[in-house]
Amino acid sequence: MISSINFSYIPSEHELEKASNSYVMSLIAIMGGLPLPIINLIATFIFYLGNLKGTYFVRWHCMQALLSQLFLLPFNSVGFWWTVSIIFSSETITSNYIAYILTIFIFNLVEFIGTVYTAIATRKGTHVEWWVVGGLTHLICKDK
Amino acid sequence: MKKVLIELVFTVAIMAAVWFGLSQVDWMKLLNIEEATQNTEERIGDLFWKMLKNTESEITSDSIVVPVDSMLTRICNKNSIDREKIKLHLLRKDEVNAFALPNNHLVVFSGLITSCENEAELYGVLGHELAHMEKNHVMNKLIKEMGLSVLISMSTGNGNAEIMKEALKHLSSTAYDRKLETEADLTALDYLEKAGINPEPFANFLYRLADQTKNLPSQIYWISTHPESKERAEKIIEHIKGKEFPKVEKKDSLRFERVKINLKLSN
Repeated sequence: MISSINFSYIPSEHELEKASNSYVMSLIAIMGGLPLPIINLIATFIFYLGNLKGTYFVRWHCMQALLSQLFLLPFNSVGFWWTVSIIFSSETITSNYIAYILTIFIFNLVEFIGTVYTAIATRKGTHVEWWVVGGLTHLICKDK
Repeated sequence: MKKVLIELVFTVAIMAAVWFGLSQVDWMKLLNIEEATQNTEERIGDLFWKMLKNTESEITSDSIVVPVDSMLTRICNKNSIDREKIKLHLLRKDEVNAFALPNNHLVVFSGLITSCENEAELYGVLGHELAHMEKNHVMNKLIKEMGLSVLISMSTGNGNAEIMKEALKHLSSTAYDRKLETEADLTALDYLEKAGINPEPFANFLYRLADQTKNLPSQIYWISTHPESKERAEKIIEHIKGKEFPKVEKKDSLRFERVKINLKLSN
């Protein structure tokens, strides 16, 4: 799920702090934005835009934080609208619905724990790459 | 790129597997959701009926109740619906109204029976209300509009009397949303067809009362609370086009006429 790899260069203390903040930002937005699954994504995206001119290390981690949020967005959105349809239309609670909510809860929890771990590890200078998201970040975020 | 795609597919597959695995558990039973809803429905339905019974006059005469009851039984038997669970109540009231309450209470006002020109029209209305019950529209409507917590608090005797009155008024005098009304109409058609009853008179009933509503909107609740009646009638006609139904038996018509006469005499 998460692997610690050496980055192409040794980032400075300032870079470590900024990169770590991108994960902290998503954590704060998750807490503030529940149950809307979009708030944390918007917050991380804004943080990414703010660091577009940052160093490669900072941009790389901002992008990984953004993609990690983006990955769960469709699943969270389905859960959100499914819940809305139960509250406001003729849909009823079923075992399938409860199973789905539990599934996305488990994956969101894993993502949350992963984000906390990555924020701490990045601040300490360890470069952490996520399963799926890390590879995707490498494809999107290039060293200028 | 290939590695990322493989990882992505693998992750989504894990998510699907977790969902599939968790959905094998009967959460409704495990968390007592069905039982809690069922208990709430039973208590609320009985409370609503008690309120109605205390304020309205119930018709208990066998000469009126038995024929209407047998009509309901006919629809139920031909559609494998448990007749025992449905509690039919006839109330003496001039309003043209019939509605379903939670826990399968079916309330029909005398005004609706006397406004039917023949028994097939009443069969249609009974079928429509029965469909609301069978499709669980009644509780869904209440949960949606009042919230489950309010309903549970009502059912445990902690409900505000005014809120209960309001909820009862709401159930008896407002329509379900268009989708649910259409579903109830189509289900009623199915019930009628299986019971060998021509649904055309039901469509005529909708047409006729939709016209009358223009003059007497407050008295004809069943229509004024069921919007787009003409459109619904047209849908029914469209649905039964080309289908053959047995002719109405004379004894049925006579029996229904006797019900109407008895209702007028008992007033």
